[in-house]
Amino acid sequence: MLALRLSRVAHPAVQLRRLAVAAASAGTGFLLLCTFGYALGEPEHSGAAVLRLSWCAVPLAATVYLALAVARTDPGTRPRPGLSALGLGPGRMMAVSAATTALACSLGSLGALLLFVQLRGGLRALPLDGGAARVLAAGRPLPVPATLTLLVLVPVVASVAVALSLRPRDPRRPAAGRGYGRFGAYGTAGARETFGAYGRFGARLRSGTGPQAPAAAEGARPASGAAGGRTAVAVPAGPAPGTATVSGPADALAPADGPADTDREDADGPADAEGLGSEADPHRPPAPRKPPAGLPWGVAVLAAGLAVEAYTSRAVTLSGPALSGTRTGSGPALPGGLDVGSVPVLVGWLLTTFGLALAGPGLTHLCGRLLQAVRPGPLRLLAGRALMEEAGRIGRPLGVVCAVLSGTFALLVLGRGPASALGPLTALGTLVVLGCTVGTLLTAAVEARQDRSATTAALVRIGAPGTTLRTAAGLRAAALLVLFGPLTLVVAYLSALPLAP
Amino acid sequence: MVAPPDNDVLWARALHFTHNDGSPALSGVSLGVRQGEILAVGGPSGSGKTTLLRCLSGLVPAQRGEVWFNSTPVHTMGPLARERMRRDRFGWIDPVPALVPELNVWENTALPLMLRGTSRRRARTAAQEWLERLDVGELTRRRPHQLRQAERQRVCIARALAPAPTVLFADEPTAPLHRADRAHVLRTLTTAARSHGITVVLATHDAETAALADRTVPLLDGRCVRTVHLPPVQDTEGRAACSLSV
Repeated sequence: MLALRLSRVAHPAVQLRRLAVAAASAGTGFLLLCTFGYALGEPEHSGAAVLRLSWCAVPLAATVYLALAVARTDPGTRPRPGLSALGLGPGRMMAVSAATTALACSLGSLGALLLFVQLRGGLRALPLDGGAARVLAAGRPLPVPATLTLLVLVPVVASVAVALSLRPRDPRRPAAGRGYGRFGAYGTAGARETFGAYGRFGARLRSGTGPQAPAAAEGARPASGAAGGRTAVAVPAGPAPGTATVSGPADALAPADGPADTDREDADGPADAEGLGSEADPHRPPAPRKPPAGLPWGVAVLAAGLAVEAYTSRAVTLSGPALSGTRTGSGPALPGGLDVGSVPVLVGWLLTTFGLALAGPGLTHLCGRLLQAVRPGPLRLLAGRALMEEAGRIGRPLGVVCAVLSGTFALLVLGRGPASALGPLTALGTLVVLGCTVGTLLTAAVEARQDRSATTAALVRIGAPGTTLRTAAGLRAAALLVLFGPLTLVVAYLSALPLAP
Repeated sequence: MVAPPDNDVLWARALHFTHNDGSPALSGVSLGVRQGEILAVGGPSGSGKTTLLRCLSGLVPAQRGEVWFNSTPVHTMGPLARERMRRDRFGWIDPVPALVPELNVWENTALPLMLRGTSRRRARTAAQEWLERLDVGELTRRRPHQLRQAERQRVCIARALAPAPTVLFADEPTAPLHRADRAHVLRTLTTAARSHGITVVLATHDAETAALADRTVPLLDGRCVRTVHLPPVQDTEGRAACSLSV
């Protein structure tokens, strides 16, 4: 009831986002029901039906992703101190959020059911009655439990995902395992410092640029320099190199680590000393997120996916029509006109998508870093730093959109061969996935904007012109477009190679 | 419309303001701010101090009444003109230090200068000077989340002072600080303003803070009051009536 009451009076933009969730849920539900209709109509092709059902996982995942993003930006279900005192704490708000999501998704599923029944010829009074009666097995009765199971799938999965992602978390960090007393006597120093970790490139740099004070970094640098020289001498000369390298850094780290730790607590203030995050101090600006680290992995996975696709195309062309001839046979055909031999192509596409989603935050961060490089003025400074900060939030949906766009582009434009015959259900599925991913990206942008609204208001108060702020936002979008547009085209071209005749 | 007296840099007459929800904020406030003085606007919470500062600085247009800045009518300006005037002539300090979290301290301080078109190098030099003057010179490369509240507020003051505004509006700049920090921050603010001839309009509910100013305009329920005759503090009202003595 509370969820209904809260969702009734929301802003039109919020309602529009919920409507998008409902539409996505309707599309996914309709695809599921159509798969079911196919299975009812052709019971002998059970393998093909399972294949079609497994294809529905892609729109389902996209719908859940969208529902998650929309629930995260929903202003009505954000924990508020005043409501917390009334008993609507974070836990209850999570329940409200999940209920709102379930409501939107159930509405969509209901619409899908109505359309499905209508197309089967169940509702006599409406137009389009029985338009696809033959495909959807109109002659057979519809089993109610199976239909309900399929229809409930989207709301349940979306609500559970929302509840899991918005569950109240303990802001206290788990206590770090830190040993005091004799060096190495409790085994902690050796556990932290593996062999060769001390002299690894960048290991000392990272300890200096963390949240410590510059004074701590200055204190650490000469110590590490001296220790480095000592270990460099000790390693070839000592009888046991392993013990020499381990005990050397342990000695050297002790004075460097001590002031760094105390200074970090000092800089973080008493709030973090008690183990509470920014919850304890509402005025404290949030600590910057760590720069995303998935870029190398993402590039590797992307390259692997593209390599799988290219290799498959070579294998298919070499083996000739024996493999691709199955498409014309009476056997089960994959949706979208792909033949059975192109299953590795799908694996390649999945790998490509995964790689792009992994690399997206890193690429966005890189984009922001390049934007604010080399003596930036206020415009580039504001645009670039904000992009670096929002890289995690914006980058992942952007990578997914990039992957989906490249796949669609490859299917529609470049792959003129077997992929030219798109069925209506494949078109619907593509539309759902495209709409969901683009909607998720836009919702993530809205979330970032909501998050930065306090900063924007402060900038306006100190007299920043509105045009500057708008231009900075435009500059961010343009920079992302410049980086991700060609990337999409390149990936699309490369992934279309196996589809070329 | 009559132009204000020449020695007043900022001048308001019969300001009325009502919030969007209908609650009254200002009802007929008139005041003049002289060149180079520090004017405290006193009064308890909810008496309209912040709204008065927002009206005077052109953040919100006055609904009735007049605001003049250096013989320019602020109340007839459009939003773009007000925005330009705010950027070029006014400074603003929030009760809670609102720094841009992605920029480090000197970039935050130099931001208003850069937004006015000063070159990066000169903005950086000016920001560095002001940070040194406010005792946060050694923190220039840190990010706001690594500073304490008082340090952040001092950076905010440096940011407001760095472009050398004609009038600086400070809306309870010491509200979230402890008393030691509060005295230090206020002293640096008033000293810097006096030495550079910057006019300061300071909203405060604290009598000690108001003592640092040249003049105090007490506000009560949206009106300027000269003398407040509050009823003497009684014994806790209603206790006898509500006691459940049986």
